[in-house]
Amino acid sequence: MTKPQKVSLSEAISQIQNGDMLTFSGFTIWRRPMAAIMELIRQGKKDLHLVMVNGGTHDDMLAGAGCVKIWESCWVGHELYGKIGGNFSRKVEAGEIICEDYSHVQVLYRLTAGAQGIPFMPTYAAMGSDILNPEYDMLGKAGLRDGSNPKIPAQKYEMYKDNFYGNETVLVPAAQPDWCIAHVNMVGSEGTVRVLGQKYSDEEAMKAADRVIVITEQIVPEEFIRREPERNLLPPYLVDYIVELPWGAHPTGCFGAYEADGAFIKDFFNNTRTQEGFDAWAAEWIFGVRDHEEYLNKLGVSRLETLRASSALGYSPKVKRGSR
Amino acid sequence: MAGNDYAQAGEFKPIDLLAVSAAREVVDGEVVFAGTGLPMLAIMLAQLTTAPSAKCIYEAGSVDGRPISLPTSVGDARCIYQASIASGLWDVFGQLQRGSVDMAFLGGAEIDQYGNVNTTAMGGYAPMGKRLTGSGGNADINSLARKSVFIMVQEKRRFVERCSYITSPGWRLPKWPSGDFVPKKDVYGKAFRGGPNAVISNMGVFRFDDDGVIYLDTVHPGFTPEQVKDNCMFNLNIAKVSGETRPPTYDDLELLYKVVDPEGIFLP
Repeated sequence: MTKPQKVSLSEAISQIQNGDMLTFSGFTIWRRPMAAIMELIRQGKKDLHLVMVNGGTHDDMLAGAGCVKIWESCWVGHELYGKIGGNFSRKVEAGEIICEDYSHVQVLYRLTAGAQGIPFMPTYAAMGSDILNPEYDMLGKAGLRDGSNPKIPAQKYEMYKDNFYGNETVLVPAAQPDWCIAHVNMVGSEGTVRVLGQKYSDEEAMKAADRVIVITEQIVPEEFIRREPERNLLPPYLVDYIVELPWGAHPTGCFGAYEADGAFIKDFFNNTRTQEGFDAWAAEWIFGVRDHEEYLNKLGVSRLETLRASSALGYSPKVKRGSR
Repeated sequence: MAGNDYAQAGEFKPIDLLAVSAAREVVDGEVVFAGTGLPMLAIMLAQLTTAPSAKCIYEAGSVDGRPISLPTSVGDARCIYQASIASGLWDVFGQLQRGSVDMAFLGGAEIDQYGNVNTTAMGGYAPMGKRLTGSGGNADINSLARKSVFIMVQEKRRFVERCSYITSPGWRLPKWPSGDFVPKKDVYGKAFRGGPNAVISNMGVFRFDDDGVIYLDTVHPGFTPEQVKDNCMFNLNIAKVSGETRPPTYDDLELLYKVVDPEGIFLP
């Protein structure tokens, strides 16, 4: 495909099949494609295989809804608003999700290798950690490194002493997910992508994936976004689907657009202490609304206006964040 | 009383002493990698007091920001206010791996006497015990910074003989695939450049001897070395205690509560 298609959120998400490997934009509770996460849950996706530089509110929500079979990453939680991923922890402890741990650098390098089209990357990071304990190769233990799934490498990692300078390194295998679902600030009418603020690992995630769904705060004239090409992240031909969806990262934050909704995330986290709690939460906030527009209406204008970022600061100075 | 006088017992909280003790570890001019929470208070306080030219990197991709509002996490939009560079993980972890980071602030749920730290799972991994957040950048940063400083809650079950999972490598660690415990240098070879330098708990400040074994350096006001030892599973060396941890000054407390965290995000 050379030209990205502008579609609705439900059309874009309907392209994703049960069992697909997914990755996402953002960092912990920042610029996650949350509307798409809720739509994945509404459409009842199963057996998803997540490979992410880190987790956060998004993957914990998917875990709670029973959408996840394999999780390969290094972290999950809600930062200040929830110290662990309640759903994720419960499911992993019950053996319902296969959890393959890496370190931040290791999983970043897996996606970087995928984005560069090479089979692996070397790093010094996290040598001597239990991440490399052969007993803790969870995909191997589950018998999933037998080549039957081309997205799962035959080994978790390999220790390697290079013959150039004689350094001990760990090689991590490339990851090329079926899909990257990204939430971004701006897309040109032809599909050029712009992200504001910190870029996290968005470029690696989007370029590693076979297909990319970009959800954007706004679509602008292509002529406008091409006035400053040095600020852009991706050309149109690397994007498959574009969905225009303001506030689509809520309750996570989006630099220059809105603050993370800490109170909302905290309430979500508190409800994830039990499966029943999550189910009731999902009944209200995911299944209880037809689509993203109804979700925003339920949140209400005043809540959203409090979260809206100052154009001077990139964040909202109006949100009550602490105890004082 | 002057602003640089030490506050008296009852005039500061344990968390204040943690933040101030951590801030005092920052050397002026150094490049500091900091994570979410108390490390943010520590680096910002240090920059306002003893280390005005220290540079802070947050791992989501902000380099030498000058935030006017405390970030709640490293991905926060606030991190890049007046930053030198807003980039991403590839940039900042690359700088770390290249050797440009002098020190790092980290946390953890369990620590052993060699400074190995667990942030992944308590009570076993396969099958999974109590699942925590996972490594995040902890393992990478502790691997590759010249020195790291851990901020921990002091409880017997957290200062352990052997971590139930080693997320973050200390001074003696398993060399895979055999899993034999060896000095960090033997695993990292030419890439070795340091390791845990200090551990700051709510009871004291710990450092590591030449063999990479933890010892108690200073004890916080109100505690005895024996009390700290009683709150460790391993046999803590208290023979090298150099004295009592210096309390916060009135200026430190004023800056912490009025400038660094006036909203009460991490402070009560």
